[in-house]
Amino acid sequence: MALARADHVTFSYPGQALPALADASLTLEPGEIVAVFGPSGSGKSTLLRIFAGLVPHFHGGGFAGRVEVGGLDTRLVRPADLAGTVAMVFQDPEDQVIMDGVENEVAFGLENLGTPPAQIRARVASALGDVGAGLLGARSVTHLSSGQLQRVCLAAAHALEPRLLLLDEPTSQLDPGAADRLIELAARLARDRGLAVLISEQRPARPLEVADRVLFLEGGRIVLDAWRDDALRWLARNRPAYVEEAPGPLAASTSGAPLCRLENVSFRYGGDPLVLDGASLELGRGEIVALTGPNGSGKTTLAKIAAGLLEAQSGRVARQGRAAYLSQDPGRYLVRERADAEVALGVRGDVGRARRALARVGLAGFEARHPRDLSSGERERLALAAVIVTEPDVLILDEPTRGMDPDRKRELARLLREDAGGRTTLVVTHDLPFAASISDRRVSLGATRELALA
Amino acid sequence: MSPGPATALLAGLAAVALLADRPAAVGAVAAVLLAVVLRAPRRRALVYLSGTAFSALSVLVISPLAQTRGSHLIWSGPIVPVLGSLDVTREELGLAALYALRFTALGLAGAVYALALDHDRLVQSAGWARRSVLAVALATRLLPTLERDAAGYVEALRGRGLEVRGLRGRARLVSPLMAGSLERGLNLAEAMEARGFGRPGRTRLPAPGWSRLDRAALVLAPLLAVSGVAWL
Repeated sequence: MALARADHVTFSYPGQALPALADASLTLEPGEIVAVFGPSGSGKSTLLRIFAGLVPHFHGGGFAGRVEVGGLDTRLVRPADLAGTVAMVFQDPEDQVIMDGVENEVAFGLENLGTPPAQIRARVASALGDVGAGLLGARSVTHLSSGQLQRVCLAAAHALEPRLLLLDEPTSQLDPGAADRLIELAARLARDRGLAVLISEQRPARPLEVADRVLFLEGGRIVLDAWRDDALRWLARNRPAYVEEAPGPLAASTSGAPLCRLENVSFRYGGDPLVLDGASLELGRGEIVALTGPNGSGKTTLAKIAAGLLEAQSGRVARQGRAAYLSQDPGRYLVRERADAEVALGVRGDVGRARRALARVGLAGFEARHPRDLSSGERERLALAAVIVTEPDVLILDEPTRGMDPDRKRELARLLREDAGGRTTLVVTHDLPFAASISDRRVSLGATRELALA
Repeated sequence: MSPGPATALLAGLAAVALLADRPAAVGAVAAVLLAVVLRAPRRRALVYLSGTAFSALSVLVISPLAQTRGSHLIWSGPIVPVLGSLDVTREELGLAALYALRFTALGLAGAVYALALDHDRLVQSAGWARRSVLAVALATRLLPTLERDAAGYVEALRGRGLEVRGLRGRARLVSPLMAGSLERGLNLAEAMEARGFGRPGRTRLPAPGWSRLDRAALVLAPLLAVSGVAWL
């Protein structure tokens, strides 16, 4: 018997004319891992939410069809009553943390489910250990990196021992190693404990290795629901960006005169240990450099120093021309009430330039939309438009592909390459295939601080 | 000290600040609370200290202008419709100083609550009204979150070549900050619902029992309030 089933579900968010899900039907069996792909705004998150009962209970809107989880009709029970049978990890770890302490955060759901007090601590420790966060139990969530927080959120869901685990882009803020471990953990839970895992991802390589089935959504419709091997063939034929090796740099540039040079820079936040200790980096005109490294290695700090947003505490920084920096949080580009006005902020209100920039990132037609009404992938592109519109000499992009589907990543690579000639571009990223596709040179921050790899 | 008794003690001190008429008593309460606030990380404490100082200063400036009492005139101002004469007397100034001191003590009590208490344990120890206690604990996190968000907006704007200058520039961030808070609140509520919040039969992570200090604080708290009325 199926663990969960959706029958002809159509759902529209309040005030939206187009449905977020249209006639979606799907069954989930115990122990199976189902990967969900699709462009941003295609309905992936909504699909996950219908199995948690959050759609329609929490969001309202128009709902037709039927969803059953563990024999319960989700229209008739509250999401809180489904908790334990279902557990969900949301996209943004910072928006789902309720308590201050890590242990208390993981215990929160167990307390709500009425777990005997004597068992809570052991289950919390076990869940944290399983996700590789065993040493974080006594820490405050406010002192964790995004990657660590993402693991704590997974532990909080895993601790509930659900029969259905819903993961909404759970590796978006993790370095490749940590992302692989997280996906592997989800696969192990499915294999060993027989829970079904529905995982939405924008970095398809690893989920495609562990998934039993693959769904592909477009415009709210499930256009593919197939076993892995069939899905790989379908993707190769119809959406090659999801399965092909990343192409090499579209047209490698030669490095011109240096526009930004960092020599032996060091930095620490407050009284914390050094984040950067004698790091050096040179960015020449015309080149695109990818800056990679594990979570917490100081990539963002180095990027901010290069952009002039942070002052190095020692070492030398030389920069020619104007620098622009794209924050890794697209929520920081929601100051105005229209998308074009938001982008125009950086060019003294020049709406014409703003609209051209929106069109270049694939947001033509979104000019009048409120930035907060955009999906996370669309917000990411809006933020990108807000930065590239300023046409800087030194362009620094911090995790620009977060929440971006593979087709969009290719477009971004093309866009950056087209404009690369007159400036220097530094791309901070965990997305190694993207780094390979875009960069002339890759610099990795880690134990050795800087290691030129290519 | 456990957060429950610590909250009771803070409430007792706040009651003294509100009820006592002697400036020395209110000042002593403020001094004790300030000493506790200064033990918190400087950066976090600064936000609360600035807010408290601004509120107290506002009371000190506005209060004498809004009152009409006393006969020892210090400054004679214009007559304003509705408010009347904007004179300032020595008595009004003395009373304004006491009000400002009270505001300071109350602000510092709030700062101690936000900075020094373990809110998780407070939520867990709430046998009843847990929802309300959780709501207050989450609201307490609002200020540092807003501060972090504001810094993020300013940084993102600087990254686009825009400097945020002066009160007017920062005032423009209020609306996105509020909208962001609402959005975060909705996301948080959704996450709580998904994790079973509100289901009957809730249990609690075992917490350590109360110490002698905790019990002493519980006895002291009402005594402080009574002493504020009776002797101070």
